[in-house]
Amino acid sequence: MKSTAAASASATAGPPGPPVKARPSGTPKAAAPQGRRIRRQLVTSPWLFAAPGLAIVGIFILYPFVSTVINSFTDKRQLIEGKYVGLANFRELLHDDMFWIGLRNSTLYVLVVVPALVVLPLLLALLVQKQIPGITFFRSAFYTPVVASIVVVGLIWVWMLDERGLVNAVLEAVGAGKVGFLSDQWLLLFSAMGVTVWKGLGYYMIIYLAALANVPRELHEAAAVDGAGPVRRFISVTVPAVRSTMVLVAALSSVAAFKVFSEVYLMAGPAGGPAGEDTTLVMLVQRTGTGLTGRVGYASAISVVIFVVTVALMLLVLRADRKEDK
Amino acid sequence: MPAPTTTTKDAPEPGADAAESTPRARRRRRRVTDENGRRMPMWELLLRYALLLVVLAVMIGPFLWQLSTSLKGPHENIFSSPPSFLPSDPTLHNYERVADTIPVWDYALNSLKVAAANVFTNCVGAALAGYALARLRYRGRKAATLVFILAMLVPVEGIIIAQFTTMRDLDLNNTLIGVLLPGCISALNVLLMRNAFLNLPYEVEEAAFVDGANVWQRFFRIALPAVKGTLAVVAIFAFMGAWDDFLWPLIVLSDPDKFTLTIGLNYLHGTFANDERLVAAGTVIAVLPLIVLFACLQRYFFRGVGEGAVKG
Amino acid sequence: MRVYQSSRISRSSRISRSSRSPRRAVTAAALAAALLGLSACGGGDDSGSADASGKVEGEITFQTWNLKANFKSYFEGLVDDFEKKYPDAKVKWVDQPGEGYADKISADAAGGTLPDVVNVSPDLVAPLAKAGLALDLDKSAGKYEKEYLPGAWKSHQVPGMEGTYAFPWYLNTGPLFYNKRLFKDAGLDANKPPKTYDELFTDAEALAKKSKGDVATLANVPTIEDFGRYGVPLMNKEGTGFTFNGAKGVELLTKYKELYDAKALDGQALTATPESTGKKFLTEAVAMNPGSALDLEKFKKDAPRLYENIGITPQISNTGKDNMYVMGVMVNTRTKRTPAAVAFAHFVTDAQRQMSFAKKVAIFPSTKGSLDDPYFTKADGTDETRVRIAAAKSLKTAVNYTPVLFSEQMKVELRNAVARALQGKQSPEEALDNAVKACDRLLKQS
Repeated sequence: MKSTAAASASATAGPPGPPVKARPSGTPKAAAPQGRRIRRQLVTSPWLFAAPGLAIVGIFILYPFVSTVINSFTDKRQLIEGKYVGLANFRELLHDDMFWIGLRNSTLYVLVVVPALVVLPLLLALLVQKQIPGITFFRSAFYTPVVASIVVVGLIWVWMLDERGLVNAVLEAVGAGKVGFLSDQWLLLFSAMGVTVWKGLGYYMIIYLAALANVPRELHEAAAVDGAGPVRRFISVTVPAVRSTMVLVAALSSVAAFKVFSEVYLMAGPAGGPAGEDTTLVMLVQRTGTGLTGRVGYASAISVVIFVVTVALMLLVLRADRKEDK
Repeated sequence: MPAPTTTTKDAPEPGADAAESTPRARRRRRRVTDENGRRMPMWELLLRYALLLVVLAVMIGPFLWQLSTSLKGPHENIFSSPPSFLPSDPTLHNYERVADTIPVWDYALNSLKVAAANVFTNCVGAALAGYALARLRYRGRKAATLVFILAMLVPVEGIIIAQFTTMRDLDLNNTLIGVLLPGCISALNVLLMRNAFLNLPYEVEEAAFVDGANVWQRFFRIALPAVKGTLAVVAIFAFMGAWDDFLWPLIVLSDPDKFTLTIGLNYLHGTFANDERLVAAGTVIAVLPLIVLFACLQRYFFRGVGEGAVKG
Repeated sequence: MRVYQSSRISRSSRISRSSRSPRRAVTAAALAAALLGLSACGGGDDSGSADASGKVEGEITFQTWNLKANFKSYFEGLVDDFEKKYPDAKVKWVDQPGEGYADKISADAAGGTLPDVVNVSPDLVAPLAKAGLALDLDKSAGKYEKEYLPGAWKSHQVPGMEGTYAFPWYLNTGPLFYNKRLFKDAGLDANKPPKTYDELFTDAEALAKKSKGDVATLANVPTIEDFGRYGVPLMNKEGTGFTFNGAKGVELLTKYKELYDAKALDGQALTATPESTGKKFLTEAVAMNPGSALDLEKFKKDAPRLYENIGITPQISNTGKDNMYVMGVMVNTRTKRTPAAVAFAHFVTDAQRQMSFAKKVAIFPSTKGSLDDPYFTKADGTDETRVRIAAAKSLKTAVNYTPVLFSEQMKVELRNAVARALQGKQSPEEALDNAVKACDRLLKQS
């Protein structure tokens, strides 16, 4: 959901932006020993440097979030102050069918979208890796969906998948008959996943491209000498060489996929498809918490759950990453 | 350590060319077409182009279809089967109607102001903070990094009203500055810059340090120019974020004179809900500036992703 | 274009699902907070006076809901007239887009930046009144009550609370269009369209059977308005609980389930939007669809064959009363210019202003006597006028079936329950019982 520019990149289910690899152990090793001299001298400027960023993020993201956490223990409504209700909101979650539907869909989203976004962009990167004429054009073109806004992408695909849209017109022209992409519960969800993958492909392709550039050519040559075919080389040379990048892509795309909102909201509608069966967790936050009658306390509790899960996903990455180092 | 520094020692823009033209890549490129009998076989080349074209159709097709729809006149059937890809009688009529309904240019100007400011603040703020996190040793560095990582994970759906109340307390609601502020230095961009700086070798800066350059000089003269690519990435994300944002400007702004394009285009929905051509024209207006911007910056951009976090 | 489309209907569409709406469940128009709201009410809790008898002076802000695109000159003229009448008063008019209106209002309400005079609908007024933000007009402007239709005045009263919280503004209702050719093809009398739900169900089954499931009669799942028109009691008298899970409600839903299984209710009804059902009617895949006088133009232009066969009939109703939508204009209790705000809210909604607005677009005035104007009674041979006259007539008895306390969240609950029943996942009884339980819980928390 692109509610704020700050959050836009991190909260859509699309690519979360070039991955940030937290690697506490990395720098000091590379930097010592000369780096230490530089660092010693600096006492005040670091805070000066970091202050604007910390201030903005603190005031406009973290502070509101802290109040969200506090709200999750109250029965606050949009226009009415709440009172402390302990864990009542969380207990209510356990009995809320819609919450479980949301959890199911968000989890399903992670399970389908993440493998696709780990594998497909890698294949695409291999396709555009070779410097053949015109390749720069193809690379840029494949990146276009990443640049377009999710709202526009949503509108475009709703029109494409409309009962009378391009996809169905083509299907009908070849005699396959119409498919109700936007009316069936599962087709809707999978269409939305498709859009997420479509929008993310180019993005992760670039990341893999950069990683591939670091794969020593000698490895491929050695494998070729051993008589390994392209598939074999892909599995035994390429994959191991970009493994840490794959872990990273998996982690980041899973965090984003778990927080999916826009694609499903745009395609399935605010109510979340037939009988609300396509509702995701963030959609549920939006639906229950906003508007004049929004239940801020309850929606905050769902936000907290989402936050906890995404932090867990992130920790999972860091662990996998650390293992990689050893 | 997967070598972040192998290509960077001698290059003024370390890692910048990783994706395209490191010495290694250049060598490979020569191999594709060189005369040592290792030329890529013709069938492989053809296969590659065939695959590239298929992917191209999937990635670009929907945009072209939208463009085509927006150019079709009121009497052309946009639902025909088989579909007609080219407008039989291309017209800008739909764009005129959009412009008649809402002051597109005023709104676009507001959007542009916010987006440009957002690019500026993000580039400066994120570069400064990123540099501090990556380069400077100080107490609380880890905590500061954690602050940004956590901020990135916050689901924004739940906090928008709290953001608005904060903005009101600052008396900045109903201003373009209010639209700008929450995203003006995004956590993601800070972390992006941090990683780019982490990948810079210390040696260059060390030399400047020995020459007596202070931290600001090193930052502006050495570190910053070396991460131009990542700055381009940040710039594009910042522009996209501001240009695309809908809900936040809607909440903060009250005065229609200050509306941004996304809010303005929304007037089209209620009014022309049934006309796909107009909706298409609206989306083209919204997306075209981004594509143009990207086309201009793409060279830096691809570099930026290369030098960004992936390596290291 | 149409107020109808842009405000009320697109709003109700969003409850269901709007493929065209990039954001937010709720919709439409306007805020203005602006100068006064912001600087004068900057403190937030200092409330204005409820006394409207003072001098009409000072600057006030008036916010509408998605009306600027099409009625700019009308509102500018209106503001000019008001300022001429009260030279010491100044009105700043702002308009908000269709999308996200409720979010905008709730942010402003929470932040103390709500404009002085706000265009609302009954379901928006209820939470604002409960939060003490809507001025009780019975106290401050009771003398104006007699100018409006009694039903319209009552529509902004909130069960469980004393008082009336907004001036009634324009009303909306529309006929039902039907495709005579499709009725004829099914062997039905094209000049005897269904009037009650029972007739509707019989005809729908016949249409589906004859066309072997190709032609559905209805494209929308039943909404709370349908339950109301079917004669289902929606709420108890005290306004403390919902009752649409009674025998009548179950009966209606059971019937719809049969229609759905027989394909007499379109297979995509569960995800339908007003836009998608409009298209289906246009392409003659669906035989009946609600609409307004303005749709006729569209039919003529986009679907000439349909236009030749178009039939117009009143809404299906078992109670003899049609459904109507009501728009209102409320005054913010925190305004510093109560006399000016009340005077302006009344000015916007008085008979003269409503009449001239009605002549611009297919809406209807809520003031007494206005509907007897020749404009609403004299036929001139055009279809448009015919539709308008019929609608004006039905409005004299029409009811706003949607309970004032029925929030967006409750609409989603009902919609989902209906979908579960139609899909056969739950029995109609079970689904409605669950929906009522959920709505009651939401009601208690609101």
